[in-house]
Amino acid sequence: MKTFLFIVIVIVSGAAAGIIHGGMNLVFVEPSLDQAIGIENQHLFATGEAEDNSEFWVEYDDYRTWQKTGQVIAGGILGVSIGSLFGIIFTFSRNTLPGKTDLKKALILAGIMWLVVYFIPFLKYPANPPTVGDPETVVLRGILYLSFIAISGFGALGFYKLSKKLKTKKFIAVAGYAAFIGIMFTVMPENPDNITAPMDLVDHFRTMSAFTVSIYWLSLGLILGSLWSHYKPHKEIPPSFN
Amino acid sequence: MSQSRQINVSKNGVPVIAIMALAIIFVAGLFVVGFDQGHIFSLVYGEEAFQDLYIHELTHDMRHAAGFPCH
Ligand SMILES: [Zn+2]
Repeated sequence: MKTFLFIVIVIVSGAAAGIIHGGMNLVFVEPSLDQAIGIENQHLFATGEAEDNSEFWVEYDDYRTWQKTGQVIAGGILGVSIGSLFGIIFTFSRNTLPGKTDLKKALILAGIMWLVVYFIPFLKYPANPPTVGDPETVVLRGILYLSFIAISGFGALGFYKLSKKLKTKKFIAVAGYAAFIGIMFTVMPENPDNITAPMDLVDHFRTMSAFTVSIYWLSLGLILGSLWSHYKPHKEIPPSFN
Repeated sequence: MSQSRQINVSKNGVPVIAIMALAIIFVAGLFVVGFDQGHIFSLVYGEEAFQDLYIHELTHDMRHAAGFPCH
């Protein structure tokens, strides 16, 4: 295996997909964030914590510009992070993934991971815009969300390994995971916070958020799969170069 | 020589060092974007960072957009 090439491909595809994600968020998610933060500002004015004057708005605009720049930077960081996990799992599962080409295999794995570590946890703990959420519960909410992702991820991995060991058909592993995650879904506590923003705003935000995260996973599979097909980092280096 | 190479390579030929490096990048990146509340900067700037929350502001919008709990 060409180790350096492997790492470069993983990082480049993660960063590229992450920057695409951040860019898509600027277009599709930021309008909802602006609206939600607008509601927060109204609260600040109503409670007297801030004054509705030009000074406030100058500072606010600076602050939002900084946050929006961050959308793309953080997209790159998160993209490389999730991409690294994807790269690790791809190298270990490449030989058993269905699909004739590396591109197809990468897209299939991206689809599975999208479902297991993103979409199912999203259904249990959907994304919330600013103004929704009690700062007091942020640690608890973080633990719940991360635990559910881990339960789902390790659950899927466990049923996959079990089906391989028992040499059963693949659908038995899928059914096992479905039953397991269904039980966990009902057992895990709900998000403790009430939704305090208008429901259309929250729903629109959630739809857009799920849309751009899905674009991320699709881009990740496409880019990593294409780079992998082209550069073939799994091939051994010819002995003469060793 | 093949002996010494085998030690550092997992059974399907993936170097352990590469997997470890990627695992560290995964955890660190996820923490910074998804969960950090100013803890990394606080190592350098002390308590002030908890108030200013530099990283938090920079990663704030993505944190919401990617579905992590925030404020
Ligand atoms: Zn927030």
